[in-house]
Amino acid sequence: MAERQPPLQAQDKLAFLLSLVPFLIDHERIGVQEAADHFGVPAQQVRDAVELIAVSGIPGETGQYQHGDLFDLAWDDFEENDQIVLTHLVAIDDAPRFSGREAAALIAGLQYLSALPEIEDRGAIDSLAAKLARGASAQPSQVGVEGTQSDETLAMARRSVADGVQMEFDYVTSAGGSERRRVDPLRIESVDADWYLRAWCHLREAVRTFRLDRISNPMVTTEPISFHAADVQLPETLFEGSDSDLAVEIDIAPAAMPLIADYVAEGAEPVEVGGLLRTTIRVSHYHGLKRLASRLPGVVTVVGPPEARRSVAEWAEAAAARYS
Amino acid sequence: MSATPARVPVEERLFSLVLALLATEAGLTKNEILSTVQGYRQRYSAGGDNANLERQFERDKDDIRDLGVPLETIESPGHAGNNQVLRYRIPRGAYELPQDVTFSAEETALLGLAAMVWREGSLSAESRRAVLKLRGLGLVAEEPVIDYSPRLRVRDAAFEPLRLALEKNAVVRFAYLKPGEAEARIRVVAPLALVQHQGRWHLHALEPDTGDTKTFLLRRIVSPVTTTGAISPAPTGDQAAAALAELDRVWNSNTAEVEVEPDSDAAVRLGKRRGTEAARPGVLRLHYSDLNIVADELAGYGPEVLVLGPPELRNAVIARLGTIAEAHGDREENRG
Repeated sequence: MAERQPPLQAQDKLAFLLSLVPFLIDHERIGVQEAADHFGVPAQQVRDAVELIAVSGIPGETGQYQHGDLFDLAWDDFEENDQIVLTHLVAIDDAPRFSGREAAALIAGLQYLSALPEIEDRGAIDSLAAKLARGASAQPSQVGVEGTQSDETLAMARRSVADGVQMEFDYVTSAGGSERRRVDPLRIESVDADWYLRAWCHLREAVRTFRLDRISNPMVTTEPISFHAADVQLPETLFEGSDSDLAVEIDIAPAAMPLIADYVAEGAEPVEVGGLLRTTIRVSHYHGLKRLASRLPGVVTVVGPPEARRSVAEWAEAAAARYS
Repeated sequence: MSATPARVPVEERLFSLVLALLATEAGLTKNEILSTVQGYRQRYSAGGDNANLERQFERDKDDIRDLGVPLETIESPGHAGNNQVLRYRIPRGAYELPQDVTFSAEETALLGLAAMVWREGSLSAESRRAVLKLRGLGLVAEEPVIDYSPRLRVRDAAFEPLRLALEKNAVVRFAYLKPGEAEARIRVVAPLALVQHQGRWHLHALEPDTGDTKTFLLRRIVSPVTTTGAISPAPTGDQAAAALAELDRVWNSNTAEVEVEPDSDAAVRLGKRRGTEAARPGVLRLHYSDLNIVADELAGYGPEVLVLGPPELRNAVIARLGTIAEAHGDREENRG
């Protein structure tokens, strides 16, 4: 996946220097480009870092940074051949430990992934977490994440993606019906406890996002996929807008804004109306809207258009009627 | 160096400080650091006022420690208690990754995936740095077999201040709105762990007044989180695991029976919910951790679901349906 490179802060640059030095010690001679590829950074970032390392060192006995107190570099090789050869080392011999927070972030991430089909035994995760904790300079902070439930659909989707074969399943639509779908699975995605399959749908002839918990009777076929992840642009956002989307105006309690962030129309500027925020969301049809609004009772109110309001009201009334 | 640049870049000053403190066994005094280390020495005034430079040094120490560098302070022999002669150093053994901590290509790939789940907030920056350190070990990840894009979200404003408090064992204060209560109540607690359960972030904390541990849902914290200044003893044991186990216990002990329309969205999704069993044909017995949350969720399924029990849940869903119908009812009278 394409990573966006945020601008580096001095702290990040320091972290890079402290990681790069032991790497260069281990690789007595390495090309700038090779080092850049290994770290996944631009070549110029490596060049800048090497130039800084080469003139850095310790004050030394004189407190004057004498020649022997500094790192040194085979400058000709560096300037003419773009090769890095450190010829004198100072102070650093080995890689740094993880910080407690860094270890905690990775440990929590591992816990979350613990039910992925590639992770065959839970013990491997625990021993990896213990190793991270041992390699940290402070106790990892207490952040924990419940592991995903292992699930037959997830395992099948994973197999289809890995083998490049089509998959078939029944999928309930938000309108209520169920349709048999045949898809080219492209990528498995998740947000917190919800897992999704991004796939080319043969019925809709478009890339669609399927919730795994709406899939039943899944089947892995032997038919190779016709569309590949490389053929289509898979956006970072789970739900893509489409020209046929319906715009709906809602009032929402400000604290609940994050709950609907995925649906807010591009460029919509929330306006405050009597302590609530009025904004515009996009939905593919009112069936989805009535479910969304009913999950947030007293928090979201649909303002318009009137058909949208009516669909929510009718949904709630029909439900209430079952209790009378 | 003959020509010293007038301005030393920040990263050069920080890097020089780390090198100087790693190289010293006995430690350096603040004065020695400010007068000799690259980036400070250029601005040091012998016998003059170095207050700005001293403040700079304090900030730099924090920035370096943030990265996990164990910068320590030791008292000079014979001068215990005298702050002026404190010495600073980075002990090599605490700085370097132990020799036996190594990772296989498979483990490296898994750690890369684990780092990727944090794509927003401060944990994403921490993960990026952890991956950088892994790469510094020369490790190359095994090519992933398949394309995964897992993601954990942190959208609660309370998360970051609570995480910082957790690291410092700081007691915090916040307003917490319990459903069914008209007004938020101020809580003062010592955080023990932050855990995500069923997609929601919870704070596991000790209430110093009562000695009880309690679990709070982050989305119900309705005020900024502030620290009281009090520090509580560092918790022992795996508090995150304990918190998750407690949430699981609650989840397992709460059950509801609901009738679902065959083949509906409710039938499929609730049927796949963790721990759900078929009580009898058309009726599911499902688990939940919080009555108000499951009531919201069930209201969303509209007429596809009929809650049979427990009565509190049934009533909570009926009340919600009433609220929704009323809020979206006809506004004929308001139309011009």
